Amino acid sequence: MATKKLSFIVKSLPYKTEASRLALTHAIASQTVEIYLEDGDMVEPVLAFMGDGVLNCLKDQTAMNLYGVTSLEQHIKNSLLLDLKVIICKEDVEKFGLSEDALIMDAEDIGGETKASIAPFSEIMKEMDSSDHLLFF
Amino acid sequence: MGELSTATPTETLDVLGRVCPYPLVLTKKAMEKLPSGAVIKVLCDAPASAEDSIPRYAEKQGFKFESVRHEGYWELYIQKK
Repeated sequence: MATKKLSFIVKSLPYKTEASRLALTHAIASQTVEIYLEDGDMVEPVLAFMGDGVLNCLKDQTAMNLYGVTSLEQHIKNSLLLDLKVIICKEDVEKFGLSEDALIMDAEDIGGETKASIAPFSEIMKEMDSSDHLLFF
Repeated sequence: MGELSTATPTETLDVLGRVCPYPLVLTKKAMEKLPSGAVIKVLCDAPASAEDSIPRYAEKQGFKFESVRHEGYWELYIQKK
């Protein structure tokens, strides 16, 4: 019986490639793999946005209008709805001149109870240090 | 019709229109909040979830499970142990 911690680190811009969408769908899908594991084995995902990746967390995305694809905003809210740990790098938020108000911090509108956090890079490093696997997107 | 599908469910979860993996993870989340013995009815139109992942999850957890297939969707009944 063991818990494997997976950190999904998103550094890519939204929509420029499919990288950040893949990170979100893989992090969400990681919550289903326990049905294929031995009894008691679990997967604990952490989703961290840093560098250009923090721009994935902007509110009011209009991807369907602009690109004809579903919004990453909804995927991030779904992550929170499913109680994933979502961390946004504080230093990079400040670098882009963003405030918490501009970012997707909760999914209350779809019934989510978990909130995202804006944390210093040192906190993300701690998560990475304690992870069994790191996946960069 | 089995024992579970004729009982009044404690909760109904509508995941119609949701694709894998959402039906399973939303079902898991709903089950975690239910007390022992409660029955959830899940409305699902994603074949992989309705016919594979959700039944597999129920079996792994030792939950009672029944499925009723309709045209284009399934009613899944799961009783928490």
